[in-house]
Amino acid sequence: MKKNIYQPLKTVIEEIIEETPAIKTFRLKPEGGFKFATGQFIEMAVPGIGEAPFTPSSDPGISEKLELTIMNVGEVTAKLHSLRPGEVVGIRGPYGRGYPLDKFKGKDILIVGGGVGLAPLRSLLFSLFATIGNYNKVVLRYGSRSPKDIVYKTIIPEWAKRDKVDVLVSVDIGDPGWQGNVGLVTTILGNAPVDFTNTLGIVCGPPIMMKFVTLKLLDLGIKPADIYLSMEKSMSCGLGKCGHCRIGKYYACKDGPVFTYEQLKDIHDIWD
Amino acid sequence: METYFLKNDDLVKFYEHLAGDYDLYVPVREKSPVKRGECTCKAGLPTDDYFLKKFSQVRKEDIAFNDYRAVEPTRAFFTHYKEEACEYFEDAGAKEKIERPVALCGIKNCDLFSLKVQDFVFLGGNEADPLYKSRRDGALIISSDCPHFKEVCFCRAFDINPYPAEAFDFNLSPLNNGYLLDIATQKAKLIAVSLKKLLVPATLGQLSGRRAKRESVNMRMDEHLSQYKIPKKEILQDIVLSGYNSGIWQEEMRTCVECNACVYMCDTCHCFLLSDASSSGSVKRLRLWDGCLLKNFTKVAGGANALKMRYMRLRNRYLKKFDFFVSNLGYQACCGCGRCIEVCPGKIDIRRILRKLYEEKYLPAA
Repeated sequence: MKKNIYQPLKTVIEEIIEETPAIKTFRLKPEGGFKFATGQFIEMAVPGIGEAPFTPSSDPGISEKLELTIMNVGEVTAKLHSLRPGEVVGIRGPYGRGYPLDKFKGKDILIVGGGVGLAPLRSLLFSLFATIGNYNKVVLRYGSRSPKDIVYKTIIPEWAKRDKVDVLVSVDIGDPGWQGNVGLVTTILGNAPVDFTNTLGIVCGPPIMMKFVTLKLLDLGIKPADIYLSMEKSMSCGLGKCGHCRIGKYYACKDGPVFTYEQLKDIHDIWD
Repeated sequence: METYFLKNDDLVKFYEHLAGDYDLYVPVREKSPVKRGECTCKAGLPTDDYFLKKFSQVRKEDIAFNDYRAVEPTRAFFTHYKEEACEYFEDAGAKEKIERPVALCGIKNCDLFSLKVQDFVFLGGNEADPLYKSRRDGALIISSDCPHFKEVCFCRAFDINPYPAEAFDFNLSPLNNGYLLDIATQKAKLIAVSLKKLLVPATLGQLSGRRAKRESVNMRMDEHLSQYKIPKKEILQDIVLSGYNSGIWQEEMRTCVECNACVYMCDTCHCFLLSDASSSGSVKRLRLWDGCLLKNFTKVAGGANALKMRYMRLRNRYLKKFDFFVSNLGYQACCGCGRCIEVCPGKIDIRRILRKLYEEKYLPAA
């Protein structure tokens, strides 16, 4: 029997965790497990509605469960948010190129996330924690619109307690209960405890945030080849065939979704 | 490659033989009611259209030799406008449809060039598209020379000749009272074994006669194309990249009605959308031809759209054809068939746009 590359794998939703009013983490239990490299993405299908691309937020080292943290923002995600544990979705993948961890050795890793963009970075953090001896330090700077929009509220403080790990969260607009930093994520990058001459910047978030974080990281002295961006595009097939996710001479689904800024810097309008 | 002579009267016998094993499509001439303006070079260019129709459904007397490419793009035989890509959660093998292989007559060299682009997309990459692969592997390609060309044809501008040299199984070149038949592949050789009675080895005189006819059509087309001054293929990537911020895109898009006909008729376009068909029973995933001139082509959930303006979409189309494919495949995704020019109700002409981009960069007004 020939493999049909568009055929999703039937998968049961085991648990749904409400992260924020608009964001949920779906824990799936793929039959026979599901392997992926951190930063790669999958196509997730809601039967009868359609598919959308998501980058897993779970630990790539654990293949028995697959977690996806998803914001309710479109047709597929709205339907996903209405599902309950025990219901069935489809998954295809993994696709694309993830983070090249072998190039991270001996470096300070500055991870900058915005909003639900922390999802792929959580998967990366799990991978880095598992091999923490390879890196000088791991620094996370996370920006969220408001305290109620922060994802992974219980797990982030635990990350901060780890050796060689430094975490700081900032919100654009605080509320009376918020004791932390207030301001755009770009305002908490300059004092990151890293040696900017030996630092890799990893950025994921809304396009406008990625643009200004990238410019800030360049200002701080990080080279374009050391800035890794997880690019969001309309990826329909995930296989480099449907043509929707072109960025210059690349397809985000096949050549990305993780690119260095060096690869993209001469291409027009990459943040649109 | 072996070359034989096939008499006019025996062409239908050749077709009949192929129709035994294939869904055979043959060219049929139709007078088209819609015509573009007269050609200024006064070359007396023909205006009839040809369609490829199923041999079993046409009258033998209606079968023609097509003097130039058919109206519909060849890719339509390998990916259909709307078709089922898979059925969810069903055993894909159990429902796999067995399609009869197609034999396509009247394929021209522009079409063969386009098939190389389609092959790159659907057979290349990490995984081949199974449906495309099975159709392509099974297909028999019977190409043919173009003794004439349409006003919109411009293959020679990109060094693509109006007669095939490779990538076919059989090729027909009209000559005197018959055709020279090239047999290029093992598949074609096996078929030809049982056609021996119809085939006579081509003489040197016949081969030289074909060369003369080919040179003649080259010369006539070059003369016709001289009025358009289309930039050379080697410079296409350069001019579309350096023309990124040019006003040409907005100027040229003024007459676009966003019908997407240029995309659907393009033989090198390949974009598609996967979409679920809602039904009460099992779920079908459809693969639909999509096009980058449609306004939602790059729209993502939440409403962001990288190509929200029409001029951005036109520019994107040219960047895809003349930058992306040149970088990834080594040549442009345009075969010069002129189908996009012919179908455009806004008279948007790729020859003119490329020329304007060239002039803006290399011949700026003093």
